[in-house]
Amino acid sequence: MKGLFAVALGVLTAIGGFVDIGDLVTSSVVGSRFGLTLAWVLVLGTVGICLFAQMSGRVAAVSGRATFEIIRERLGARLAVANLSASFLINLLTLTAEIGGIALAMQLASSISPGLWFPVAAFAVWIVIWRVRFSILENVTGLLGLALVVFAVAVFFLHPDWSALGSQLLQQPSPHTDESPATYWYYAVALFGAAMTPYEVFFFSSGAIEEKWKPKDLAQSRVNVLVGFPLGAILSLSIAACAAIVLLPKGIAVTSLYETALPIAQAFGKIGLIVAILGFVAATFGASLEVTLSSGYTLAQFFGWPWGKFRRPAHASRFHAAMILSLVVALGILLTGVDPVQVTEISVVFSAIALPLTYLPILIVANDPKYMGDHVNGRVTNVVGLIFLGIILVASIAAIPLMIVTGAGA
Amino acid sequence: MILSDLLGSPVLTADGERLGAVVDARLVLDGPPDGMLAAARVYGLVVSPHSHSSFAGYERTGVDAPALIARFLRWRARGSMLVLWADLASFTDDVVRLRPGATLYSPRLSGDSA
Amino acid sequence: MTDHRDLPMPPPVAGRVLDADLDLLDRQILDPDGVPVSTVDDLELTDPDDLEHLDPDTPPVVSALLTGPILATRIFGGRMPDSRFIRIPWKVVADPGIVVTVGVAADSLDASWAERWMSEHVIGRIPGGRHDPE
Repeated sequence: MKGLFAVALGVLTAIGGFVDIGDLVTSSVVGSRFGLTLAWVLVLGTVGICLFAQMSGRVAAVSGRATFEIIRERLGARLAVANLSASFLINLLTLTAEIGGIALAMQLASSISPGLWFPVAAFAVWIVIWRVRFSILENVTGLLGLALVVFAVAVFFLHPDWSALGSQLLQQPSPHTDESPATYWYYAVALFGAAMTPYEVFFFSSGAIEEKWKPKDLAQSRVNVLVGFPLGAILSLSIAACAAIVLLPKGIAVTSLYETALPIAQAFGKIGLIVAILGFVAATFGASLEVTLSSGYTLAQFFGWPWGKFRRPAHASRFHAAMILSLVVALGILLTGVDPVQVTEISVVFSAIALPLTYLPILIVANDPKYMGDHVNGRVTNVVGLIFLGIILVASIAAIPLMIVTGAGA
Repeated sequence: MILSDLLGSPVLTADGERLGAVVDARLVLDGPPDGMLAAARVYGLVVSPHSHSSFAGYERTGVDAPALIARFLRWRARGSMLVLWADLASFTDDVVRLRPGATLYSPRLSGDSA
Repeated sequence: MTDHRDLPMPPPVAGRVLDADLDLLDRQILDPDGVPVSTVDDLELTDPDDLEHLDPDTPPVVSALLTGPILATRIFGGRMPDSRFIRIPWKVVADPGIVVTVGVAADSLDASWAERWMSEHVIGRIPGGRHDPE
């Protein structure tokens, strides 16, 4: 029975932990402007993240090496420095968005302006990383994030026009949409970047080492990823669907989490709103913890410092110093008055640009018998992995031109 | 002398013809014991005609997958060779010169390397 | 250019073979307890007596792994004075595998001074820094 409990915990944590501020904002923006015509991107991105998270987890469990250590060892220092700079900066951007997201969620709960919540959120994130054990940190936020299931339930309670939703899935735009093709593809890249954010791979593989996975734990991790992630993606899809049902026909634009939560208020009133807010806070707080840890992981692994929550802070001091510094910088950016929603939208597009940097080394090392012994990739994994690498490259190259042409999706 | 002095340096034959650039140094641990291991001496240099560095050493290790990437990286490292230390004449002004009659060997590592 | 598959194999050797860039450079260095020390950023080799007339019988030997600021000169160019090198002597290296293991504790090496400094002067001073997480 204990084994089953562990499996259930793993899956539920993966579901609740899948969604972050990028998914929340991008899904509801996309739903409010394009209906469900971009749902296919979510499916594609979810398959991609499952593939690469699985691969990086397997590499970490078998070889004991985390992603950025491998990037440095395989790419060589020069390319790895370029990779580090880009990854770290984009991580910092994502962190700014996530901390901002906590503040946006707290604004909904309390009607206090986000500006006052920024320092509170940053400090709270730090204190949890400083003192709380890795497994508790992961499990609590992941389970609370399940509150977002309220969106999936709401879809039914909103009595949607099912045939209209269905035809949107099949690429028939809703009569309420009048977006240009370039904008469509810009948001396709954004949604793809939101589903496949690089920090998730850094976090997943470093987390495997934090929790001391061995090859025998691979079966459990496979279940977590292959069951948990797609179910988590259904939550994102539900958020988009709610936006498509409620926001799209009225042309309501998403400028804060208030609009994201509007369908819930409509379906379930105040109670539903409370549940949704709980989900938002859990998702953004959990993601903030993960992105902060990822900033520490990438720097520490590149430079070869001792790292990990399993060490006391005094034994991984530069790792903790790096995370404190990242939180201070993210807070600084937020305090300049930038709009957290806009930061989020930019961060997911830049995530799409940085994707090839992370995935190519993983694909290479997953095939290296010196690291993997008998657990090297099979042919099918390699074929799918190469196809995805191609898709990632296309998205990465198209991102900036699309951003320019569409004025960042205006 | 440090390793990065050698890496990237051009390699010329005794007649002054350019062979390529040093992409790696092959070490062999067959010296007298130095601590826990034998001393590591420079056995030879891996030279590549078309690039200044080797990406993951696909041309030497025999790793074959993923197929497209392996094929591309092997193409990029085509023509790579190993020259033994004994066949090096001089290393001055960041240029390596070979002795006349130097033998060019395959850079392939046999299966039991590290 | 001749395809390397047509080139002869070099004479066999009785000792472990390592390609410096492929197998040593940029690898993690761990101490016997698995504590990370640093990365291999460069290798220090003994100087041949006469660089203009290299002696075939005395090839350079690896005297130390180098770490720290030398990474910047390797990537961006330039050369720092030898006296500023942070060295991990070859004699403390125990096993050069996918990680390089040394035979002495991390804290006893010069290479870990930055970690010790940060620990004693910054992180150790923040409340809770010296405790295990709960």
